[in-house]
Amino acid sequence: MPLAQPVLCKRIPTYPWGDPKDRQYVGYDQFTATGGYVGLTKALAMAPKAVIDLVKEAELRGRGGAGFPAGLKWSFLPPEDGQRRYLAVNADESEPGTFKDRLLIDFDPHLLLEGIAIAMHACRLDTAYIYIRGEYHAQAKTLQRAIDEAYAHKIFGEGSRLGQINALWPNCYVHRGAGAYICGEETGLLESLEGKRGWPRIKPPFPAVAGAFARPTIINNVETLAMVGPLLDQGPTWFKSLGKGRPDGVPASVPASFGPKLYGISGHVNRPGVYEENLGIKLSTLIEDHAAGMLKGKKFKAAIPGGISMGVLGPDEYHAELDFDIGRKHNCLGLGTAGVIVMDQDTDMVAVARNIARFFAHESCGQCTPCREGTGWMYKVLTRVEAGGGTLDDLDLLLEVSASMGAMPGTTICGLADGANWAVRTIVNKFWPEFEARVAQTRSNRVSLAVVGATH
Amino acid sequence: MAWIAKNSAGATIERRSEPYLTPVLKAKLEADVLPRYPTKRAALLPVLHAVQHEHHWLPAQALEEIAAFLDLAPSQVLDTASFYEEFWLNPKGKYLIMVCQSLSCELMGQTGLLGKISRKLGIAPGQTTPDGKYTLMTAECLGSCGSAPCALVNEVLHENIHADNFERILDTLE
Repeated sequence: MPLAQPVLCKRIPTYPWGDPKDRQYVGYDQFTATGGYVGLTKALAMAPKAVIDLVKEAELRGRGGAGFPAGLKWSFLPPEDGQRRYLAVNADESEPGTFKDRLLIDFDPHLLLEGIAIAMHACRLDTAYIYIRGEYHAQAKTLQRAIDEAYAHKIFGEGSRLGQINALWPNCYVHRGAGAYICGEETGLLESLEGKRGWPRIKPPFPAVAGAFARPTIINNVETLAMVGPLLDQGPTWFKSLGKGRPDGVPASVPASFGPKLYGISGHVNRPGVYEENLGIKLSTLIEDHAAGMLKGKKFKAAIPGGISMGVLGPDEYHAELDFDIGRKHNCLGLGTAGVIVMDQDTDMVAVARNIARFFAHESCGQCTPCREGTGWMYKVLTRVEAGGGTLDDLDLLLEVSASMGAMPGTTICGLADGANWAVRTIVNKFWPEFEARVAQTRSNRVSLAVVGATH
Repeated sequence: MAWIAKNSAGATIERRSEPYLTPVLKAKLEADVLPRYPTKRAALLPVLHAVQHEHHWLPAQALEEIAAFLDLAPSQVLDTASFYEEFWLNPKGKYLIMVCQSLSCELMGQTGLLGKISRKLGIAPGQTTPDGKYTLMTAECLGSCGSAPCALVNEVLHENIHADNFERILDTLE
């Protein structure tokens, strides 16, 4: 069932409820006049732990890519010890295909600030840093404008409605990154926040125990926090009436896909943009109804479900349901950021794989050898295949390399290489005939580990 | 690429008597930025941004001054600054044109666009025009996939830039 009323886009005109041309910055006064900060008021009337329990009960899952339950993440914090604790807001939106957080920051930043204030109250965090990617110049200024308004209205700062936390008045700051995809990885983000290169940390310790400045830290995505205000206002029962629940008979321990979600859609469609829908919307519905169909009436060939690290959906997966279960059902990594990239019948999948491999080769931080070398070599091999100089050995090699690098095979610290290898592996596997037709039909006597299955 | 080793052995540092990190800028940073963080080092990114904003790039002398200001070793400042693509350790043109080359932009015609801009300016990506006016770079995803192809010119994002209307982004520049 389509989403009846917009939640995150309540004040941001979006089809089918409004026209994106009418979008404008929503300031503090307009935000409060339309039900804003009501969720915060309700949260402040509750004990901090009760707020965490409510978010847990709602089964709100992280909207930044991994889909980790937000309430559970909040409950990992150790007991208060009177010392400082931090909130790091991940606004380092850098995953190709993803432009949803930008929409919230551009037009309704107080929705994010409300979620930040609630999280600070619930988790007893005294300082919030919004880590925004360096390229978002205008967005950093917009955020600062909203934060200044929030300080003036005692959301943050001395005399804050939150009261003192850890014997400090709560503060919220913008911290600008400087052009590094890896800083969207939560521990890379923390390193960058501390003024170092954005090299992901080996875990444990997890950030909830020792995060920013070696203190307990919560890291949440912009959209996740933006959802917290409406959730506190309208409650878990309302939230769980939206999105996609568990099928009958499935135990409550299996995470479901409740709530609405922002979907960014780009590529070969008539009306690209960000849309809000229930989790579980079909890819075909998103393309036909929201994005007004395929560009120039061409046929659908493939789509990236949620940022390029998630892999690819093929022509027979046009009706795939875009929810947190998509990875299991459609042999891709997951829903990711729900940044959908659509490709038409004329798209060269070898070029797509080459583009994606170049991105990861460029953005690998260089710490772990399998990722630094693996992504670079995948790019080189794919460049050769695209240029027509490849052989079947190259395809074997691609599959072998992609199966052996990443946090899942256990050879790297973070998941960047997993993103690279899922993308390349799913494209090569799902479009094998296209790749096979592009390479010389010769195989050397070399036996690929991928072919004999030794790396699986 | 963040991990390419940059050979600085034997490099000489050009010096000038006037500091890059001026007393006025220092006072502003001490009042506005340092109190935000529990450590001085955490202020490094904002300080690098501030100095680069004033001088357009980060000369080695500026890195040394920043190191002294934040009680860091110059090597620590270089270590961080060299990791991030947005920090320029060499001079760049007055206008930095970054053309996004990630997937949505390539699908929507970025390759032709880049070629046209490159021919118009007479430079390849990575180069600066001899008059120091333009530097052309490719960029990975600028977060504007719904209005692809896109390009960032200094701090301004230009959306839906196509090969046949790209000149409008140059027309806005002096």
